Amino acid sequence: MSLQAPLWRSIAVFRFASLVYAVVLLTIRHDDYRHWGWAWVVIGAMIVWTVAITVAYATPARRTRLLLGADLVVAILALLSTALLQTTQARHIGAMPVTATWLAGPALAWAVVGGARAGAVAAVLIGTCVILLRQGHEPLISGNQSTTLNGPIILLMAGVLVGYISTLMTRAERALQRATEIEAASRERERLARTIHDSVLQVLAMVQRRGTEAGGEAAEIGRLAGEQEAALRALVSGDGPASAQSGQLDLSTHLTREASALVSVITPADPVLLDERAVTETSAAVRAAIDNVRQHCGPAAKAWVLVDDEGPTVSVTIRDDGPGIRDGRLAEAAAEGRLGVSHAISGRIRDLGGSAAISSSPGAGTEVKLRVPRTPQPV
Amino acid sequence: MDVTDGAAAATESSTRVMIVDDHPMWRDSVSRDLTDAGFEVIAAVGEGTQAMRIAASVRPDVVVLDLQLPDVGGVDVTRGLLSAYPAAKVLILSASGEHRDVLGAVKAGATGYILKSASRTEFLDAVRRTAAGDAVFSPGLAGLVLGEFRRLATDPAPDTPRLTEREAEILRMVGTGMSYKQVAERLVLSHRTVQNHVQNTLNKLQLHNRVDLVRYAIEHGLDTGPASGPASGPASS
Repeated sequence: MSLQAPLWRSIAVFRFASLVYAVVLLTIRHDDYRHWGWAWVVIGAMIVWTVAITVAYATPARRTRLLLGADLVVAILALLSTALLQTTQARHIGAMPVTATWLAGPALAWAVVGGARAGAVAAVLIGTCVILLRQGHEPLISGNQSTTLNGPIILLMAGVLVGYISTLMTRAERALQRATEIEAASRERERLARTIHDSVLQVLAMVQRRGTEAGGEAAEIGRLAGEQEAALRALVSGDGPASAQSGQLDLSTHLTREASALVSVITPADPVLLDERAVTETSAAVRAAIDNVRQHCGPAAKAWVLVDDEGPTVSVTIRDDGPGIRDGRLAEAAAEGRLGVSHAISGRIRDLGGSAAISSSPGAGTEVKLRVPRTPQPV
Repeated sequence: MDVTDGAAAATESSTRVMIVDDHPMWRDSVSRDLTDAGFEVIAAVGEGTQAMRIAASVRPDVVVLDLQLPDVGGVDVTRGLLSAYPAAKVLILSASGEHRDVLGAVKAGATGYILKSASRTEFLDAVRRTAAGDAVFSPGLAGLVLGEFRRLATDPAPDTPRLTEREAEILRMVGTGMSYKQVAERLVLSHRTVQNHVQNTLNKLQLHNRVDLVRYAIEHGLDTGPASGPASGPASS
């Protein structure tokens, strides 16, 4: 379905409406004509041509140069017939020609097919004939000159404008088509990537499994495969880019980047959309918490990051399976002025209007729970 | 493939397992692990349609299912398998863990989900628990189920399932890598109670999904009588 179709429909409507106008004018301005009967013959021809050309233009393939040329010639002939039909007096006072506004049809058709330039050419050709029709009877410099030029100038403007709109629509249509093609291509690429990723993951998981079981050097290979597997899975399990509406980002996608063989990032299936600042700051706080785990619990400690979208707030829990923190140790650290945990984590979250709580029990690891409000409170 | 003899076999010999995985490498490896542990591997197939076709005749207790199959989507395979042989328990064994697929399969009736990167011990334990009728929740699955309930919480319909405070608390703990045992200790509950709470969240989702499917079928005039299972319904979610 072409975007130009509405333009053609409007031209058809314009042609028929202006035809009615011409009929009404001819009926009431009987006195302007020397050969009133012949004027009706011209009107009859215009009706036949309007029907024929509207039917023809309805099919895009038939909008040929030949037909467009014929359309223009017919309109000009009908216009020039006015010279033979109207009285000299009528033309003196600048009466409407027998075609009235119907003569604009071809200019509009040219504009739609050929753009602003073609529209202008057709409008100038028709406009010249309109002026010629008057010129034989009026001096160039006269009081009526301005009104004589009104019609052709409006026609020229209409031709240029419609042509311009038509060009814009053609461009928009092409852009739309291109976007659709790109979307289809990227969908296909995504589908292929999924299949390939899955195959690679299968192999990596297998190498990890077999290697770990075989032990020795193979275990090292298995461990490396396991790391790559975790990294690749983190990359693909984020369900594509989130709808980037009004500067919001998907927290899940950002946090999933922190996943590794030792750090599992657990998120809901739907994107968790937050303001860009909230996502950046929360991600930084989570990174700081993971660094703490590395620092305090050693390189082999596992950690889990759980994203829970509670609606008005989003909570992120970071838990490790380390030895945990002794009661009062956190308060001591704060008192000693070592605010690593408090500041890098809770400072950022507090700036977002949220809260950070650290809890720990010996043997059950340490848990940092961040709560970030959906709409950040003004600081 | 027959049951191997030995001590281990005695405990697992009654468990019939079907493996559905398009990677021959994984099919063989999983099959060997299960057979070594004494399970009875009754079928190992590479295609979803084939699995659905033979499910009723081989009557598996547990289906170990890879969601990425070449012919049918994971959600549809789960639904088709359970419709062909409702007594089966489906354990998802996936490499990529695509969120939507996993959640869809669980809503369609799968009762467990484990990544292929899990160790052999973890895997065998998961099969054992699935056969016993327990839900096998990895942290990832707990996060997905929690997320799904959070999404449903915004749905005002009265029959939408809700989480109790306790269930949400337990899902959050499982989602941060805690074992049922650790959760039970922390909350001073029995292991069984924790298991029941987790199971309950899954049942609620699956029931809701079935109700949704039936409603969809009735609304679209696909209701062909009470005998037809949800497998004849449309692929939702």
